[in-house]
Amino acid sequence: MNLGLTLPVLLLIPLAGTVLIALGARPKATALWTSLLNLVPGLLASGCVLRSGELFFGPVSEPPRELFPLHFSLGMDGLSLPLVWLTLIVTWTAIGSGREGIKREKEYYICLLLIGAGALGAFLSVDLFYFFSFHEVALIPTFLLVGMWGHGDRSGAAWRMTIYLMLGSMVLLVGLIGLFLALPETARSLDWRVLAETLRANPLEAGAQQMVAVLLLVGFGTLVSLVPFHSWAPGGYASAPAPAAMLHAGVLKKFGLYGLLRVALPMVPDGWKDISWIVGLLLTGNILYLGFASLQQRDFRWLLGFSSAMHMGTVFLGLISGTVLGLAGALTLMVGHGLSAALGFSVAGEISRRTGTSWLRDLGGLAQRAPRLWFYLTIAAMASIGLPGLANFAGEIMIFFGSWVAHPVLVAVAAWGVVLSAVAMLRAVKSLAFGPMSPAVQAETVTDLHGVREIWPFAVLTAALVVVGVMPLLVYGPARPVLERLLLP
Amino acid sequence: MNPWFSPEIFLTLTGVGLILVDTLAPEKIRRRVPLFALLGAAGILVWSLFPASRVLPDSWLNLFVSDGLSAVFKPFFLLCLVTVIAMAARYRLGADESVRGEFLALPFFSTAGLCLLASARDFLAVFVALELVSISLYLLAAFHRAKPASLEAGIKLLVMGGLSTGFLVMGIAWLYAGAGTTEFSQLLLKQAGQGSSPAVLVAAGLILAGIGFKVAAVPFHAWAPDVYEGAPTPITAYLAVASKAAGFVLLLRVFGLGAFALESMGTSFRPVFLTLGIATVTLGTLAALTQRDLKRLLAYSGIAHAGFMILALGTRGEGGIGTVVAYLWAYLLASLPVFLFVNELERLHGSTDMRHLDGMGRREPGPSLGLTLCLVSMAGLPPLVGFPVKLAVLANLWNAGETPALVVAVAMAVASLGIYLTPIRVMYWEREADAIPARRFPPFLIGVMLAAGLLNVGLGLQPKFLVRVAELSLNPTPVVQPTGK
Repeated sequence: MNLGLTLPVLLLIPLAGTVLIALGARPKATALWTSLLNLVPGLLASGCVLRSGELFFGPVSEPPRELFPLHFSLGMDGLSLPLVWLTLIVTWTAIGSGREGIKREKEYYICLLLIGAGALGAFLSVDLFYFFSFHEVALIPTFLLVGMWGHGDRSGAAWRMTIYLMLGSMVLLVGLIGLFLALPETARSLDWRVLAETLRANPLEAGAQQMVAVLLLVGFGTLVSLVPFHSWAPGGYASAPAPAAMLHAGVLKKFGLYGLLRVALPMVPDGWKDISWIVGLLLTGNILYLGFASLQQRDFRWLLGFSSAMHMGTVFLGLISGTVLGLAGALTLMVGHGLSAALGFSVAGEISRRTGTSWLRDLGGLAQRAPRLWFYLTIAAMASIGLPGLANFAGEIMIFFGSWVAHPVLVAVAAWGVVLSAVAMLRAVKSLAFGPMSPAVQAETVTDLHGVREIWPFAVLTAALVVVGVMPLLVYGPARPVLERLLLP
Repeated sequence: MNPWFSPEIFLTLTGVGLILVDTLAPEKIRRRVPLFALLGAAGILVWSLFPASRVLPDSWLNLFVSDGLSAVFKPFFLLCLVTVIAMAARYRLGADESVRGEFLALPFFSTAGLCLLASARDFLAVFVALELVSISLYLLAAFHRAKPASLEAGIKLLVMGGLSTGFLVMGIAWLYAGAGTTEFSQLLLKQAGQGSSPAVLVAAGLILAGIGFKVAAVPFHAWAPDVYEGAPTPITAYLAVASKAAGFVLLLRVFGLGAFALESMGTSFRPVFLTLGIATVTLGTLAALTQRDLKRLLAYSGIAHAGFMILALGTRGEGGIGTVVAYLWAYLLASLPVFLFVNELERLHGSTDMRHLDGMGRREPGPSLGLTLCLVSMAGLPPLVGFPVKLAVLANLWNAGETPALVVAVAMAVASLGIYLTPIRVMYWEREADAIPARRFPPFLIGVMLAAGLLNVGLGLQPKFLVRVAELSLNPTPVVQPTGK
């Protein structure tokens, strides 16, 4: 049976949700149910992918003589499968941890659903035009979410985030244009299946490959907060309302990495190899510079923002490892980081909502007052440090093993990154757990999580972290054939 | 089909008819003039979509041609006319209420001029058509006599328009002196035979300057912000969309398809176009960033868009021409609804300052959403129609190997996000929303703005329509003329 139709359904359900909310349905309930309902087509589609390796919807673009050869087609293979699931789960839990009765509730949940749908569309698009377009769908809702419901310097954060992401997108767009126009006129296509095949058979010349690879690196890199294009990320996440930070740090950021795996590695393989020393240099910046910066943070949300941007360095190490193990590790860490960042930001959101602050020194003794919150916070911190049994550890260890042959120095640097991250996170966990109870924590409003209604988003994310941590094969198993094809000579 | 049924003739007749009705008919019928004008404009728009409307009278064929370009742009100008008439019918003229009939009739004459311009194949026809457009516009810009700014706009437009006409006429004179003809295809043939003489090059430069005023290209742009701000809003929309597009149609005809379309001429003018384009897009974008008045903001944004189109033209080739055609359509689809919105805003609040948008997102969710989509489309973000055309401009620049222009275009595309996000921010973020008296928009605006927003999304997701339009505009074969000439 052809289940190709489930792919557009995956996009239509959240869109239907936004329409229903706009027409007056109860915002949170509608958003929650649509994102839960979306798991059904997700399950059906993944079943197909697991059985036959891939699933497509819509026309394959023939290499045609068209001015603008674009076709709306969706597809899912082993590489997009884990990311689609990451999106589904994080969207669901992000909406679940959103507040009811927040001001302008309608717009709030519409924006969240749109970000989720944009990410899904980007991971599912086969045509590069739509691949790019769907990612951009999230830009305006993010701007509105940070600007309307953010905290701290929300206006500055919203502008910085939006302009940076737009800049990255435009550089990326130029890279894609360059890739498209470097092809001979008869072979031009925007379909990544066709493009990858064409470019495998007739690779571009070295100069063109390097040029495109650099543009893609800067473009995608900005979206992934690669140093020195990172400065939007920590402040943006610190100011964003918790569900927006969850979706952005958890899901949308992975678009850049997915794009590198989907476009840069298969289409300009030699160019990517040629610039891997630049990538190596920049990822050192991510790990060491942002790692040390995260040590200095006194605000819990800023700490999470820096640590989230810092771990991207390790993923980049996987991308330049040149081994299947390294790439599989990168994919696993993408998923693990998505889950742990989502958990971290949702806990941070809960804490600062209850106590009215996210300064570490004002949060002493929280563990006594709200042990459940502190527990999930610790899980998020442990996952981000790389505790065995949680998803991030599996990804990191695969990356380290996979990159050892090609980049032993970088592996050593990345190992120091684990140490830095451990210091930063454990200090935060310690200052929240011990010491005298601070006045902010003693306030009447500070309560622990109560009942299934409050706890389930955290429990779902924790369970996902454990499942992936114990069985990373779930993530990289289906993707393995795709990753192996990337490294074929 | 009778060749005298062309849109230009209907436009003129409707314009004359409206003035007659407004002057002679009894008060009861006079009150219906806006309705008559709207119905007339809509009828002519629908008629212009039929191929039969493209047949021209035999006696016109020495000066006019009916080809793909004119077939694409006559509906364009008529769509502008319909919107402008709808806006003009609702625009508050205050003390000048008694002359609303002329306010509604003059755009018809101006549009007749634009349609002729889209068909012109001779510089004489170009000149006559442009004067028809300009003289009506001088009157219209100064129409709100009670408002000093409107008078100022009229005078500025008159002086700058006169200057631009001067450049154009001077160019035509040099052209006739250098080549002995003013007809586009003969000019092309002459130059193909003997190369372009220096006189022809001078002529091309002067003509480019003349058109530069029309499209508000830097350094011929200085009139635009003041005129846009002072003129009645419907006329601002007309100037910003229809009149600007007419300038580009002329550029396409003259530098893209005929007259100066020769490869050698293109090579010598390429740096000129690229320099103009870079200057225009940079100044337009940067100046728009600080505007607080929506009409001024749209004026500078129009300059920036003109810059992108000039850059596309500078890259030469069919890709460049098709890109400009598609860009103009996308610009129309995104900016006309914004002008319509601004017109209603002015009707409610008496000014077009951005602070009136404060809290709009909550008070008027429908129109705000539509406006947001149109503004984001102007910023060139997917999945809206502004994106594929900006993509096409960048692709053309890359293809032509114009790296500096490409870098500037990318930087300005990013910066332009700041222009269009500012009104969106004011609408949704709410600073002093309570200070603004809540006045409601008429219900029709909800439907119109939402439809416009959806149209922008639909065409952005499926840009095939624009590609088709661009291909059609490149079709050089004249529409079939009746036999037995």
